[in-house]
Amino acid sequence: MSMRPLAAALGGAATIAMLAGCVPNAAPDGAGTITVTSTEDTCDVSTAETTSGNITFDVTNSGSRVTEFYVLAEDGLRIVGEVENIAPGTSRQLAIVAQPGSYFTVCKPGMIGAGIGQAAFTVTGDEVAVSEDDQAAHDEAVANYKAYVRNQVGELVPAVDAFVAAYVAGDDETAKSLFASTRLFYERIEPTAESFGDLDPRIDYREVDALAEGLDWTGFHRIEKDLWPPAPGAKNSDDTDANEGWTASTPEQRKEFGDKLVADVAELQSLVNADDFTLTIDDITNGAIGLLDEVATGKVTGEEDWWSGTDLSDFQGNVEGAQVAFGIVEDLARSKGDEGVKLSDTIDQEFGALNEELAKYGNTTDGFVDYKSLTAEQVKGLSTRVDALAEPLSQLTSTVLGIPSS
Amino acid sequence: MLGTLLIGLREGLEASLVVAILLTYVHRIGRRDVARMIWLGVAIAIAVSLGVGAILTFGAYGLSTQAQEIIGGSLSLVAVAMVTWMVFWMLRVSQTLSHQLEGEVDAHLDGAGWGVVLVAFLAVGREGLETALFVWSTTRGDANWFLGFSGAVIGIVVAAGLAWGITRGLMRLDLPTFFRWTGYVLIVVAAGVVAYAVHDLMEGGIIPGPFMAAPDGAGPFVQSWFGDNAWAFRVGETIPPDGFLAALLKGTIGFTPEMTKLELIAWAAYLIPTMTCFIRLDRANRKRSRAAREASETAPAAA
Repeated sequence: MSMRPLAAALGGAATIAMLAGCVPNAAPDGAGTITVTSTEDTCDVSTAETTSGNITFDVTNSGSRVTEFYVLAEDGLRIVGEVENIAPGTSRQLAIVAQPGSYFTVCKPGMIGAGIGQAAFTVTGDEVAVSEDDQAAHDEAVANYKAYVRNQVGELVPAVDAFVAAYVAGDDETAKSLFASTRLFYERIEPTAESFGDLDPRIDYREVDALAEGLDWTGFHRIEKDLWPPAPGAKNSDDTDANEGWTASTPEQRKEFGDKLVADVAELQSLVNADDFTLTIDDITNGAIGLLDEVATGKVTGEEDWWSGTDLSDFQGNVEGAQVAFGIVEDLARSKGDEGVKLSDTIDQEFGALNEELAKYGNTTDGFVDYKSLTAEQVKGLSTRVDALAEPLSQLTSTVLGIPSS
Repeated sequence: MLGTLLIGLREGLEASLVVAILLTYVHRIGRRDVARMIWLGVAIAIAVSLGVGAILTFGAYGLSTQAQEIIGGSLSLVAVAMVTWMVFWMLRVSQTLSHQLEGEVDAHLDGAGWGVVLVAFLAVGREGLETALFVWSTTRGDANWFLGFSGAVIGIVVAAGLAWGITRGLMRLDLPTFFRWTGYVLIVVAAGVVAYAVHDLMEGGIIPGPFMAAPDGAGPFVQSWFGDNAWAFRVGETIPPDGFLAALLKGTIGFTPEMTKLELIAWAAYLIPTMTCFIRLDRANRKRSRAAREASETAPAAA
């Protein structure tokens, strides 16, 4: 038998086990250290409660027999951490990474039986941050998503310029043909834009929402109503008279609204390209969910693009953005055991089904059918698919971040 | 001091036994060069254990309990496989040696030399890390830490001395008998290692045992392997685990005062077939060599 591969395999396995089982030792100054004193008949732990994270028990044997110290899980059986062979007069340290929950501490003087002084021990606070391996994967995912956001905004800027130029010049046909394709870049990254305070309201608010919040109504939808002016007696999405308090923009106003949109989009671009533009992994996973919520609450009702009827294109943009976000964290989710693999498979499948459903009505290159032409049945078919995807997607954060969903 | 001495004895005994038997064996077949390699294996194992132990004790990162148990348990099983291989290899080599020519160089050893070194390395390295962690921790106690530390070291030295004594006793036997008895000893030692490899893996939460709750809705049979039902016996009151007797028993036959049913089953599952196999091979060998001897006595002696 050849010894070398065996030895190499052993070494490799041991290294992996070591890396996987690393726990930070206590700081030299003893900060965050809990002292435990084990005697013949007591097991004194200096505190019965601590916050989650790396905690170290400094176990001193003041008795006359060799002792052991255990931290047990809530069931009182599973060993979360143990130190054995603590000889009389010596002390040993036990370092564990403690997640919030209920535990027990117990000593075993003489190494016998069920132990002595079993006491409840509570860990409060948040889930502990991820291991270094995960951190590297998180960093990579965040970098990838940032690049995607910057790339989409980079495409949005010239598209908006062309769209606005046509609108300001009064070339309504060209502007109308560019409306949906321009918005697509925005819709894909909407949650990120929404994180910048009042930027999204200026760019993407609908008339009824702007009125309800007492904001100046600007942006895409202001321009949309100019391009697809309401017929006399037409209703807004909230059933009010569409022509009440609204007049078509004059060329000066068109210039004003056009320049405003260009300026707002330019601001968005400088924000996402700034050095201090930060995202976290849950921004990505929750962003994916946010995009689907957008679809479920806004797009399915047809209220988003009330005058142009281009809701399906926005819908597609939201779904694509969610799919990219998911793709970026998918490997990470799949690395989280069977549950992560199963969840990812389900999400993959549901994205496929939803895209298939959307493809019945058009695509981003040739455009989609007018949303108002969809029957109630067809709308229901879409919203059923959206809900079927939203459900597993909403578990993504807990799976990717390893937070057990309660 | 006595406490740490007994721990050192317990942890060091079985590794010392394996190494002492190995050394004696290669000495008896006249391979001093391999003896040097064995010492090298032992030295590397000790150095690695002490080094890694020091890093984990004094460095920024320690090792989680689960990782320690899983590493220990897995290495134990590998060590058992190696020791078992060694026992049968020794048996095979011993039949090729004509008993008149003790110390005859055998060709087998060339290929297996590194195997023998690996056995020595594993025997020491397996419990080495845990022992090193324990030895280093004795230096972190109170002001008179030196007592505890010396106790631990003396314990290990005593273990080595005991092992050497046992092997010396076996030295006086003639070669075939020596092989037979060391084979028995090693198989019993290895069975003990199997038992507490299982115990380590239970503590690491890898296999069901007293440190795991039965799954919900488990039947009585399944439940009998989990939690407190998993124990076969707990006689710590009769044989104190921190005493000399317990240290001796654990370091030799692998008996601990608290054992689970699964440990006993694993122990028997290894010991019975291995021992049966060994005894049958040994018998067949002796028959063959007796026949060969009778044949050579009747034939005219070749000059």
